[in-house]
Amino acid sequence: MKAYINGISYYLPKSILDNVQLSNQFPEWSIDKISEKTGIYKRHISEDNEYSSDMGINVIEQFLIEYNVNKEEIDFLLFCTQSPDYLLPTTACLIQDKVGFKKTCGALDFNLGCSGYIYGLGLAKGLVETDQARNVLLVTSETYSKFIHKRDKSNRTIFGDAATATLITSEPKRNHYKFSIGNFAYGTDGSGYDKLIIKNSGVKHKCITSSDLLDEEGNFISNDDYIFMDGKEIFNFTAFEVPPLIERLLKVNGITLDDVSMHIFHQANEYMLNFIRKRCKIPEVRFFISLNDIGNTVSSTIPIALRRYLDNLKLEINHKILLAGFGVGLSLGGVIINLE
Amino acid sequence: MEPNVFLENFKKQFIDGDKLEIAMKTEFRQIESYDSLTGMTIIVMIKDEYNVDITDNEYKSQKSINDLFNLIQSKLKT
Repeated sequence: MKAYINGISYYLPKSILDNVQLSNQFPEWSIDKISEKTGIYKRHISEDNEYSSDMGINVIEQFLIEYNVNKEEIDFLLFCTQSPDYLLPTTACLIQDKVGFKKTCGALDFNLGCSGYIYGLGLAKGLVETDQARNVLLVTSETYSKFIHKRDKSNRTIFGDAATATLITSEPKRNHYKFSIGNFAYGTDGSGYDKLIIKNSGVKHKCITSSDLLDEEGNFISNDDYIFMDGKEIFNFTAFEVPPLIERLLKVNGITLDDVSMHIFHQANEYMLNFIRKRCKIPEVRFFISLNDIGNTVSSTIPIALRRYLDNLKLEINHKILLAGFGVGLSLGGVIINLE
Repeated sequence: MEPNVFLENFKKQFIDGDKLEIAMKTEFRQIESYDSLTGMTIIVMIKDEYNVDITDNEYKSQKSINDLFNLIQSKLKT
């Protein structure tokens, strides 16, 4: 039995944070120059009372209408988030009830960021190919904006909020993509756990609250209650770990780079993407970038980019797309999807 | 390790590298298109091309391209 991708929908919150607003808040910040390099000009930001469950429900309802899917058909919900409504219960359980999925539906959350979509596809494929489920809905939903300190101009420039829904099924019926899910390659380096972290966010530092750490000129550096990202270390991890991941991925799928029609990587920022593309020796024409109006939406970047790519494409037989995600954890993964 | 080759590798890390007119004595942080992302790619280039690791502190204390070149040379000798 094979597993197929049967459609992707995405949801973007209504509020937009653009460069003019950022420039007004941080007059010393050369935002236009930075945007030219990162390729990010706008980000969508969730409302104060809009949480990952709300965005997840929105995108699921949109998906069911867009692809004319009956919610009774869904027999497993995988929910990828690092901003759950609660530590417990599982956000996927709340969503099952609110959307009205049947009570025989399995549901779980998993905590991954920029590599999450790849791991979600891997879990969904496992459920389908072992006949544990026929129709798995993989939902990514992230509200990093709620974790970013208002004075943290770097991260506010990069990250945006979004949610996506992808249906993975045992049969390619009803879909207009007909992409089977090929083999995966994964990777982990937990020694870099503190390179992208919210230190005071779980049980270990539960009762600790921190104050702002500033540099000599009074600029914000970090606060352990909010997201901290060591950009240089994340950059190095990506630079040195992604090229061997791509090599392993091609090998386990028995193909070469020339066999891949399009490469869609986690949309971190345009500069880093082009840097990695060159290191992986991927031609520019076979490398898709789409983030200028949404920023880095964490686990949602790959499905959003994939949907946008497919929306503007006349598909050919044997169209192979390489997907790769990398980031917080530190974690990475990739998969080949094949048009059949 | 040739200074001219190093200079060419160094220029390639800049977004406008093909137009840059710089020399070994150039203080690279003064180049208009230089920023922290460029710095990251320079350190990766040094690891790739010369298999030399440069720490943050070492990198921060180098001013000219020649300073960086000399640092790499000294690390290659040890």
